[in-house]
Amino acid sequence: MATQDQIPPTRAERRQARRIRRFDNPWLNPKLLWGAGFLVGIIILGLVGRMLWDLELVFTGSSPLKLPPIGFENLRGQPGVLEHPLGTDGGGRDLLALIIIGAPNTLFVGLLASLIGMSIGIFLGFSAGFLGGRVDDVIRVGADVMITIPPLLILVVFQSAFGDVTLTMMALLIAGFVWQSPTRLIRAQVLSMKQSGYVQMAQLSGASTGHIMFREMLPNLVPYLFGSFIASVTTSIVTAVGLEVLGLGPQRIPTLGRTIYEAINAGALIQNLWWWWGLPTLLLGVIFIGLLLINLGLDEVSNPRLRRLS
Amino acid sequence: MDKPVLTLRDLSIEFPMPQGIVQAVKSLSLDIHKGRRVGFIGESGSGKTTTALAVMQMLAEPGRVAGGSIDLGGTDILALTEEQMRGTRLARIAYIPQGAMNSLNPVMRIEPQMWDGIIAHEGHVDRATLKARSDAALESVGLPKHTADLYPHELSGGMKQRVCIAMGIILNPELIIADEPTSALDVVTQRQVMQTLKDIQSQIGSGLMLIGHDMGLMAQTVDELAVLKDGELVEHGVVKQILEAPKHPYTQDLISSVPLVGGDSFLNPDARADAPERDSPEPLLRFENVRKDYGAVTALHPMSFTLQGDTPQIISIVGQSGSGKSTMGSIMLGFNPPSEGKVLFEGQDVQAMGAAQSLDFRKNVQAVFQDPYACFNPFYRVNHALKFPFKQFGLAQSDAHTQTAMEEACDAVGLDPDLVLTRYPHQLSGGQRQRLIVARALMLSPKLLIADEPVSMVDASLRASILSNIYDLKDKYGISILYITHDLATAYHVSDYVMVLFKGHVVEAGPPKDVIGAPQHPYTQLLIDSIPWPDLERSWGDGRDNWDPTELEAEAERAQAVYRGDVPGFDLVRI
Repeated sequence: MATQDQIPPTRAERRQARRIRRFDNPWLNPKLLWGAGFLVGIIILGLVGRMLWDLELVFTGSSPLKLPPIGFENLRGQPGVLEHPLGTDGGGRDLLALIIIGAPNTLFVGLLASLIGMSIGIFLGFSAGFLGGRVDDVIRVGADVMITIPPLLILVVFQSAFGDVTLTMMALLIAGFVWQSPTRLIRAQVLSMKQSGYVQMAQLSGASTGHIMFREMLPNLVPYLFGSFIASVTTSIVTAVGLEVLGLGPQRIPTLGRTIYEAINAGALIQNLWWWWGLPTLLLGVIFIGLLLINLGLDEVSNPRLRRLS
Repeated sequence: MDKPVLTLRDLSIEFPMPQGIVQAVKSLSLDIHKGRRVGFIGESGSGKTTTALAVMQMLAEPGRVAGGSIDLGGTDILALTEEQMRGTRLARIAYIPQGAMNSLNPVMRIEPQMWDGIIAHEGHVDRATLKARSDAALESVGLPKHTADLYPHELSGGMKQRVCIAMGIILNPELIIADEPTSALDVVTQRQVMQTLKDIQSQIGSGLMLIGHDMGLMAQTVDELAVLKDGELVEHGVVKQILEAPKHPYTQDLISSVPLVGGDSFLNPDARADAPERDSPEPLLRFENVRKDYGAVTALHPMSFTLQGDTPQIISIVGQSGSGKSTMGSIMLGFNPPSEGKVLFEGQDVQAMGAAQSLDFRKNVQAVFQDPYACFNPFYRVNHALKFPFKQFGLAQSDAHTQTAMEEACDAVGLDPDLVLTRYPHQLSGGQRQRLIVARALMLSPKLLIADEPVSMVDASLRASILSNIYDLKDKYGISILYITHDLATAYHVSDYVMVLFKGHVVEAGPPKDVIGAPQHPYTQLLIDSIPWPDLERSWGDGRDNWDPTELEAEAERAQAVYRGDVPGFDLVRI
């Protein structure tokens, strides 16, 4: 180690040093950075796209029908054109415009639903773990019962009853089904943390219940909360897309799921209009891989044993 | 003399870390001969366990043997393949782990767990032979045969540890490595387990490598002693020579830091000062027929006492684990409501206080807990633990005042405030953290401090200094202290009054010179006899061979409580 002071470091040594710095700051691990990069990419696509692209093209009949992306030909032998670089669908909508609006919408539903779900989960989990007794029984049994109910089934019924819903409404409905696992997770953590020395110390210091919950316990739960949040974003998006592909959910707002529904409905599969259903699916894939990488990266943050030097 | 069982030559072990290479063991050379017991003593982090694991080839990643050789009765351990090493473990080297409670499979009966070892080394063995061998092994550690059919949770800690010993010796290994085999057990069980280990080791004639940090235990158990400090072997020799004429200053420290009953006090007698006046005529703390049940079990039988608190005193509560002493502590702190009776603090019922009274009670009754690692919130710098209560109780006049108070408190417990206050808990050692907790209590200047095993998880060399910190506070700040411990030697030195608790009853109480210096109740005698003294003349109590704690405990249960005189200011109601 001491020799490094005299001799300029070789490239291998510099790389090693960089790895070590990354090891020291777990938030800079490559998985987390890549995952966050994917999601930020989707958001940037939405923001930049809104500025540069003509969004009027999402309306039915605004463009020629069934044009392929640039560099491909459709069954009728028409080549892709520059006005519609990703092609158009069977209703004459521009796919680039659909994606620019639809992909951030899908992400928005997922994030909002799990944000609400997590808040409910944190509140209920802390109440159950901290107060114990009857409150704990009610919350625990409630969460356990809710976990056994398949959310898609109930949501199908709800959505058919509501007819057309807004994105926010949809997020709220989904949030009603993603609070159970954070509740259970937080309850378990709070129960074990309640016995810990520093909580007892805080009690000895005359700390209020609120202080103990939010200032002493919550900061130590942050890695778990993040992990749980990402997991429920994934669940929420899967549920939302599931509903949309079934033709439920918002009728007039483009989302990735709705685009896939229309593609299937119009027989895009047999007409070989692969770009119609393929591009939204690809973007969903990017979102899920991004979420997965973030989750793996967060695991390394909260569990140092998973970190490796090389 | 024949060839040694284990030869370590210039053994170096290192851990490459992001911060650089940590040298855990630095060129250590040592022989362990057949039938000899060699103790490895040193503080945590001195490389004792690392050496043992290297011999087993079980070093945790990324540790590696950097140099030297390990020779086990002619076999070069470092040259063995993974499969050969597997064959060597247990058959030639047995490892008895620290926490026996975690070493047994909770869903398997004892018997099949013992058979696993035999089958793994000898292939198929018929059932009758297996049974005969496991029974013989259990018998050799003094456990009844039917233990084989029990699950681990049905055994006590001492029995589990003995099962681990039985498993270790089932293949008659050449070397037994015991890594702090009794650190989780109380003194009575410790003595029992160590005797079992000694007996079985001399029976099969293997070498024993005993790892520990307790000089007394070593003196009573081993033939040779190796003292390790920061990965270096600082002294090695026959126990007698090391105990009587230690050469290295560190060894001298280790020996002198063991408090003895009747020996020199480690306390500073000059710290006495006039205590501040109390403003309440009511007694500081009063137990009125306090009883505590956990389900059908009575942890604490009705007990009444009054602690006046006009002159600060240290009242010690001693007993084994399960004697109800920690229950008493949590009842006093109001964490745990008594099943019957009342705890009065300055005349107020602890369980029926309003918000303002409760805050006042919290300010005046503080605690130091056993585990200094758990007492700090890992999220905050350590000064949070000191700053927060100070502000919460309205003692802080300004931020600068808080800062000065924190610095003064750190100085008082012998810590450098600039060095420790802005660190995170994991950056401090156990001793530093425990001192900070003492400093925290000091800043609040409570009237009553409950110290629940404050030094049992701290390295031996630090125990004396932390206890004397606590002791000095008593007179300097007029704090009455309830010292809950299983360590009779320290209780002897620090306390003004001692209560010995046995299964929730007070069995002997009085001034420490009487109760611990000349115990009369059989249970107190049992406890004192179980303390391993760092003194070869005093062979573990009186050295009787037929020492049977179960019988002695039964005798203790029949005996009447003994009250040995009173101390003004503390009044225990005799039952």
